[in-house]
Amino acid sequence: MNTTAATGSFARPDSALPQSIPDYLDRLRAALAGADKALIQDALYDAEEYLRSEMAENPGQSEAEVIAAVAGSYGAPDEVAEIYRDTEVKVQTALRPPAPKPRKSLLGRFFGVAAEPRTYAALFYMLFSLATGIFYFTWVNVGVSLSLGLLVLIIGVPLLILFLGSVRILSLVEGRLVEVMLGERMPRRPLYHNRERPLLERIKDMFADPRTWTTLIYMLLMLPLGIAYFTVAVTGLSVSLSLIFFPLLRLLGIGTVQFDGYDVFMAWEPWSWPVAMLIGVALLFATLHVARFVGKFHGQIAKHLLVRLG
Amino acid sequence: MTDFDNQLRKFQKELSAGTVSLALLAVLASAAEPMYGYQIAKRLEREGEGVLSGKQSALYPVLRNLGAGGLLDSHVEPSVTGPPRRYYRITETGLSVLREWVMAWRATRDSVDSVLQGLVL
Repeated sequence: MNTTAATGSFARPDSALPQSIPDYLDRLRAALAGADKALIQDALYDAEEYLRSEMAENPGQSEAEVIAAVAGSYGAPDEVAEIYRDTEVKVQTALRPPAPKPRKSLLGRFFGVAAEPRTYAALFYMLFSLATGIFYFTWVNVGVSLSLGLLVLIIGVPLLILFLGSVRILSLVEGRLVEVMLGERMPRRPLYHNRERPLLERIKDMFADPRTWTTLIYMLLMLPLGIAYFTVAVTGLSVSLSLIFFPLLRLLGIGTVQFDGYDVFMAWEPWSWPVAMLIGVALLFATLHVARFVGKFHGQIAKHLLVRLG
Repeated sequence: MTDFDNQLRKFQKELSAGTVSLALLAVLASAAEPMYGYQIAKRLEREGEGVLSGKQSALYPVLRNLGAGGLLDSHVEPSVTGPPRRYYRITETGLSVLREWVMAWRATRDSVDSVLQGLVL
């Protein structure tokens, strides 16, 4: 009989299963290392919901017992990680509209951008970002100056905490916008903190979390970015659309394009009108390409500043 | 033996891909009020056999995808025991999709059954 081996394995049952919910979540996070950050946040959130509900259903059981019980039904951290990785791949391919055949010719690639729904969503985001940018910027400025200014009085402390909490909620909202319009995978669940810890500790966590501060930077950055996106989108669309449609209107005798009282189409020879229309079409598609690029670029900014690092 | 197991696991995985969505929609269609992830998982656990008895963590991503596809509606409510819960309810689209799915399922089940009938192993 090999008693040493038997007692050895008996003494460390924890090598197989985590002993507490935070431990379980840590293992899950470790098992998901390298996966999409937003996916990790969702997986942790779902696991915590399940485990906490199971705890509430079985009062009197310790966390270790509950975890041992759900290992069969919900899955051990490694299994759960594998399931999430697996479904993510399946869903990405199943939910996305079938990708249009990549166009080979240069011309096809240039004009193909108009057939992609993502282009218009990004264009809309560019127009919309002026409004959100102004709102975020104002919110952060009012929040920071009000709470810091009142910090000498006690009232500034709860105000600062409430303000930082609101910033984290706005971060989730912006994340949803970015995912829907720009197609960058973002968290679908709020950032959730360990409920075991006392309130004061959790508030401390909020201050220590680099994400809180990067979100503030993102929100400040949204004003200049929003203005730039809006300007580029409006200028691109209006210039190209006027170039395309004004020759037509000109033929019907309505509408003019004037620069400093100088009527562009009156002054131009009629043969130049079709040329202007061609330039307008090229400019319109160029604007759509810019929108695609801004969509990807901004998705990356949002991912880095709004989703937890590492 | 492991090869044998792998074959079974692969078959179960493929089989579960669609049936889990069907089962989730059916559970929510028969529910009187919105349910959250854990409740749905427990409801399936009670009757789950075969591929439906798989790991319940697999249900959450499916729920989220059904929601993204407009088949389910969801809202978040705070909870005293843990993180805020996301409650799911079936939509009108979900109901009509479910009706189609049920017909497809029954037809498939019947034809598979008739093929398997009289099979001696």
